[in-house]
Amino acid sequence: MAFEIPKILYNGAIKENPLGKESNRITVGGETCYPFHLFEGNMPHPPKIAMEVYDATPEDWAQAALDPFTDVVHDPAAWAQKCVASYGAEMIALQLASTDPNAQNTTAEQAVETTKKVAAAIEVPLIVWGCCNVEKDTEVLKRIAEECTGENLILGPVEEDTHKALGAAAIAYQHTIAASTPIDINLAKQLNILLGNLGVPDERILVDPTVTGLGYGLEYCYSVMERDRMAALTQEDERLQFPIVCNLAKDVWKVKEAKLSDEDAPLLGDPTKRGVLLEAMTALLFLLAGGDILIMRHPDAIQLVRGFINDLMGS
Amino acid sequence: MSKIICSAAIRGAHKIVERAEAKYQEAMEKWGPDQEVGFPNTAYYLPVIYGILGVPVKKLGDVKDVLDRCRSLLPDMVDEHVWLPYLAPALDAGMTTFFAEEIIEAIRYLESPDFYTKTEDPSNGNIWLGAADDVILRKRGVEFVDGTAPGFAAVLGAPPTEEIAVQLAQELQEKNLYVFMSADHEGRSMSEMLVKAGVQVGWGTRLVSFGPEYTATVFAAGFATRAAMSFGGVKPGDFKSILFYNKDRIFAFAMPLGTVTDEWYANAAGAINWGFPTIADTPIPEVLPTGVCTYEHVVSNVPHDQLVARAIEVRGLKVTVAKVPIPVSYGPAFEGERVRKDDLFLECGGGKTQAVEWATTKDMDEVEDGKIELFGPDVDDVGEGGRLPLAIVAEFAGRKMQDDFEPILERQIHHFVNYAQGLMHIGQRDIAWIRMAKAGASKGLKLKHIGDILHAKFHQDFGAIFDKVQIKLYTEEDKVQEILEKATGVYHQRDARIEGMTDETTDTYYSCTLCQSFAPNHVCIISPERTGLCGAYNWLDCKASHEINPTGPNQPVEKGETIDAKLGQWKGCNEFLYKASRQALDHYNFYSIVHDPMTTCGCCECIAAILPLCNGVMTVDRDYAGMTPCGMKFTTLAGTIGGGMSVPGFVGHGKYNLTQRKWIVGDGGIKRLVWMPKHFKEEAAERLKKLAEEVGIPDLPDMIADETVGTTEEEILAFLEEKGHPALTMDPLLE
Amino acid sequence: MALTGIQIYKLLPKTNCGECGVPTCLAFAMSLAAAKAELAACPYVSEEAKAELADASAPPIRVVEIGTGERKLKIGGETVLFRHEKTFINPTGIAVLVTDEMSDEDVAGRLERFKTLEYERVGLTLRADLFAVKSLSGDAGKFEALVTKVKSQTDGGIILMTEDPGVMEAGLKACADRKPLIFAATKENAEPMAALAKEHGCPLAVKGDGLDEVSELTTKLTEGGLNDLVIDSGARTIRKAFEDQVFIRRGALLKKYKPLGFPTIALPCEMTDDFMQETLIASMFVAKYGGIVVLSDIQGHSLFPLLLARMNVYTDPQRPMATSPGIYEIGGPNEDSPVLVTSNFSLTYFIVSGEIEASRVPAWLIIVDTEGLSVLTAWAAGKFVGDVVGISLKKSGILDKVRHKKVVIPGYAAAISGDLEEELGDWEVLVGPRESAHIPAYLKEWKVG
Repeated sequence: MAFEIPKILYNGAIKENPLGKESNRITVGGETCYPFHLFEGNMPHPPKIAMEVYDATPEDWAQAALDPFTDVVHDPAAWAQKCVASYGAEMIALQLASTDPNAQNTTAEQAVETTKKVAAAIEVPLIVWGCCNVEKDTEVLKRIAEECTGENLILGPVEEDTHKALGAAAIAYQHTIAASTPIDINLAKQLNILLGNLGVPDERILVDPTVTGLGYGLEYCYSVMERDRMAALTQEDERLQFPIVCNLAKDVWKVKEAKLSDEDAPLLGDPTKRGVLLEAMTALLFLLAGGDILIMRHPDAIQLVRGFINDLMGS
Repeated sequence: MSKIICSAAIRGAHKIVERAEAKYQEAMEKWGPDQEVGFPNTAYYLPVIYGILGVPVKKLGDVKDVLDRCRSLLPDMVDEHVWLPYLAPALDAGMTTFFAEEIIEAIRYLESPDFYTKTEDPSNGNIWLGAADDVILRKRGVEFVDGTAPGFAAVLGAPPTEEIAVQLAQELQEKNLYVFMSADHEGRSMSEMLVKAGVQVGWGTRLVSFGPEYTATVFAAGFATRAAMSFGGVKPGDFKSILFYNKDRIFAFAMPLGTVTDEWYANAAGAINWGFPTIADTPIPEVLPTGVCTYEHVVSNVPHDQLVARAIEVRGLKVTVAKVPIPVSYGPAFEGERVRKDDLFLECGGGKTQAVEWATTKDMDEVEDGKIELFGPDVDDVGEGGRLPLAIVAEFAGRKMQDDFEPILERQIHHFVNYAQGLMHIGQRDIAWIRMAKAGASKGLKLKHIGDILHAKFHQDFGAIFDKVQIKLYTEEDKVQEILEKATGVYHQRDARIEGMTDETTDTYYSCTLCQSFAPNHVCIISPERTGLCGAYNWLDCKASHEINPTGPNQPVEKGETIDAKLGQWKGCNEFLYKASRQALDHYNFYSIVHDPMTTCGCCECIAAILPLCNGVMTVDRDYAGMTPCGMKFTTLAGTIGGGMSVPGFVGHGKYNLTQRKWIVGDGGIKRLVWMPKHFKEEAAERLKKLAEEVGIPDLPDMIADETVGTTEEEILAFLEEKGHPALTMDPLLE
Repeated sequence: MALTGIQIYKLLPKTNCGECGVPTCLAFAMSLAAAKAELAACPYVSEEAKAELADASAPPIRVVEIGTGERKLKIGGETVLFRHEKTFINPTGIAVLVTDEMSDEDVAGRLERFKTLEYERVGLTLRADLFAVKSLSGDAGKFEALVTKVKSQTDGGIILMTEDPGVMEAGLKACADRKPLIFAATKENAEPMAALAKEHGCPLAVKGDGLDEVSELTTKLTEGGLNDLVIDSGARTIRKAFEDQVFIRRGALLKKYKPLGFPTIALPCEMTDDFMQETLIASMFVAKYGGIVVLSDIQGHSLFPLLLARMNVYTDPQRPMATSPGIYEIGGPNEDSPVLVTSNFSLTYFIVSGEIEASRVPAWLIIVDTEGLSVLTAWAAGKFVGDVVGISLKKSGILDKVRHKKVVIPGYAAAISGDLEEELGDWEVLVGPRESAHIPAYLKEWKVG
């Protein structure tokens, strides 16, 4: 007898979110099946990769990650332009790491200025990511929302503690937000409900499940994303039917294994290729779990993953 | 609606429309139809007209159509001899009032461009700000969305004295409300009085001096209308959504101070369309029945010192307490903190003294929100190592408050008190036990702070279901006894309430998916006679929990068509289960242990297991650590059947459920029970006896074996035979 | 369909003799249903019952063993589609390819790397599992020689790759005692390959052109008495190979479709010429249902990430991973370096140690046994409280390693500071940051005096 492919009965779909400026919209989401299960549903918008840009010259970076950008690390706008022009970035993610009160503690005004410069330098959608300090993010991201009306930025992380202030700003100044919760599907759902209650339109909500890198608890994030998609697609869990953004590069490259030289760790092979594979593999696993937007760093890793998306989407 | 109000509003609307028409004629003659007209720096044209009618007034000529609409909408004057209620015509009159006022104000911008400052704050001696531009709207509107400003008070006229003006403004500011001021009373205006008294007005202080005339009231309506379009995503012309957005989200009200003229009535009628009630200081007729507004429409003759409180109550504005005002740290991180004997400063309850907790419902006028009273000695009066009896009474009032919520709220006292550093709370009801640590006392912690904690936390977490709460603490023996007696009566009533309910007469059960965080496919469905297996949730609790948090883990489940009445299976429950279990299960039975029993998450109080040789069932509770006749200890059983599986032969259940009529009734019910731990039997003795009598075997409790009889099937079988246990002669449990 | 405990109970003797090791037949039945016991433990079970139970209790995906001794590899036996539903059981076997047309140097390099590339992590040794020895020349002698060489230089498992039964026989002659996987039986050679597998008692891989062909082959082979099968669906494009893996797993689990109830083997080495991409493809099969992946080569920078991916995906989601308690030296601390204490939840350990490292401040990190719970959970459960932490610190010996008397506790455990000070006597307990991300800033401020 011929083998009959067992298919899953889906009864939900991921919402479609238009991102970026009016003139250059790209859309994410819209899936009606598990990731790349194209034999039983659709992924109208293949996952997108956003390239990271930092608001201040990075310190303590692995040489491998720094190499491609040594000419632009001092200038976020030039960095962003290089990502688009040289590496074909589909989106840019501006990491406002220097606003961290435990780091340089740069001001909201400085962050606004940097964001404006980067936004003006590129046409692709811009993600603006805070430093994960509740008070500071509220202040900084709110100001950026006010000052950058019309850009349709993606502002993150928006946590339960900041959701009112940042949600309201997103509504008023028309930006998209990344709703961030710590690796827990119920908390994710709860925050999405709260944002809905606040009046944030669904097409302006992305979900950030909080991700970590390979070897550092990746499995927790992986499973939360898989569960998120199951609930969204097979349980009609309407408040989980949002595209997922994975801010993965900073955690991948932070760990010691991504930084060790070949002298220090002869068993870990070539440091650049190792870093690239750590990042690409983390990204691929999150793609398989349901990621719609991957925030990545190294051009080689991005190229590998982009190729992989095409292969998985291809016929 | 009051005929007087109605007639006045319609009269006022006529006057205002006539005034607008005259202004329009004048302006047309002067500037012609192509003259641009509008409020400064806004994309919303004349916002009320744009929002409600969807008509963008750009030029003077566009005004004509709007005035025609006013005329067709404007109801006839009320006849002396007609006695019908007039809500609809009054609302229409109110709406035309706003249209006409916008036209009047727009022409004013044309006639006297410098009449308003067009800024955020007064400038060059001019205090009249005029309509908010879009920059102000966004900046301030954000505060309405994120809750830092819940709404606004549209104040018309002026209070009798500057002192009252200042006090009112302050009170409104304290509630984070914006104050939109317009119109005068006998030549005085609230704005001018504040300025004279040295109070800063402007958007910065939230005391917004819109304009000197009553027509400037329309700027408040315009602000609200634009908020709906800007923040609610409502399209111009979708008047219904605009009005509902305001009713549901913008906590605003009109506060006329002084003689209410026909024009003021017309404006008040307009505000009602937006769901904004009127609270007046003069003895005008009241409109109490609810309808368009959430609660009353017009409340009058309120003394000045009660105006704000009354307005907040009538508009249904919720109090928010951002921080728990106590001298020690507060948060869930301190919940598990223990106060040991050596650290002990003060102790209430715990067998040494009586302590009791009681949440109860009162009428609105019996409760003053935030009032905290202590009757009897406090920490300072007893000294280190002291003991006090304690009764904590939380008195709730609210339009949505129900008796059913009382136990839910009461149970929170445990968590809320525990969150405080230096306080430990154990137990509930009349076995409550509170310990205060020396470290807490030295930081100035008092018993009265328990009141502050409860007031703040109840509002934070449960504000949706009540409006006001006051806390009474008693530390005198006789008072505590008095409360105890009252409370015990209520406890019994509560228990009896669920007792009286049956599954057959209940169509809606409730789900509980609280445990899906660790048992992802597990779904509890709770009926009146099958309480939650964790023991924490009965049907009433779930119902209340659903009302408190409509999107939470307790969802109503329509049980639907009966598939098997004996085993307890319903179509609606199955459908819910299928979806909520992520398609892992498509059915289970409520009343069976043998045939597809309900799933178990792992946090069940007891686990029942079949004993095939005895043709019966045993149950073991979590506290019994020994071996059981089924060959497995509680922990092994929990590991075997937990995790959201339906495991025939085993089922998790609550202690209370054991003595409910429906416990495995599909397999024979309580008559199958052949073994249970001794301490559990003693604990459940009274209810077990009652149920045994009900099923016609009054000495059943004595026939049930326990560990003193044996912990193997063989040992207890002999006992059962000797006692003539009914299970032995029942139909075979396993076919 | 698996039987329930009650259904199994009915087939048992119902004597509660206890000889199986559990007190009652019912308890034994429950253990059988949960696959925690073997039917053979019951001395009195009837033959009919045995047959019925064996049939019903066969796992939906067969467990296949490759190799012998310590490095015997188990694949298959999976029971879920998503790891959170229970757990993935037998980690994907990682194989490295050598062929009889490779230079001696290439072969030697692979043998060397296979041996040396091992990594210790959370008490586990991570490494590759198998050699895939492939005949390209078709020369039986060359094949046998290569197999012999591989066998003699490694104790890893072996996959013999040739579709020529004659060549395969030569390979088996060299290493049948190591129970290699025979790769592969096809439509053309199924019979002789099956005979070889039977003769040597070795598992057999089945390679078909699509799942229908695979199903026909496995059906034929099982009817012939061969049950230790491994499936290669033949797909060599990423999308098709991914989909086939999903179909096979779903067919076995959701439809109980026996012809596909076997573990799989995937060949990234035949899917691309780009080594980096090949490694990435392998990680896809780790997540999506590959039993074995065959790689053209392994390097430290490729194998290490792949092993991490495998460790993560195959972690039991219901059992928190724990780091062993004790003293961890980070950055070469001395007697004036700060002492930090945290829980032994492995994620906590990784993150905290990573942040300490990032701070560049040498420090002592003391891991307390909290049974794998995170700080806040452990604290709530009474496993990270003053006396427990205090005793752990004393037992660890850290008190003698530093001159100062200060210990930093996690911000979330602030409440234990009093009790801990009491337990430690004259030590000062400092409350550190709540979030590990703030550790570097905190340590930079930390002063001994």
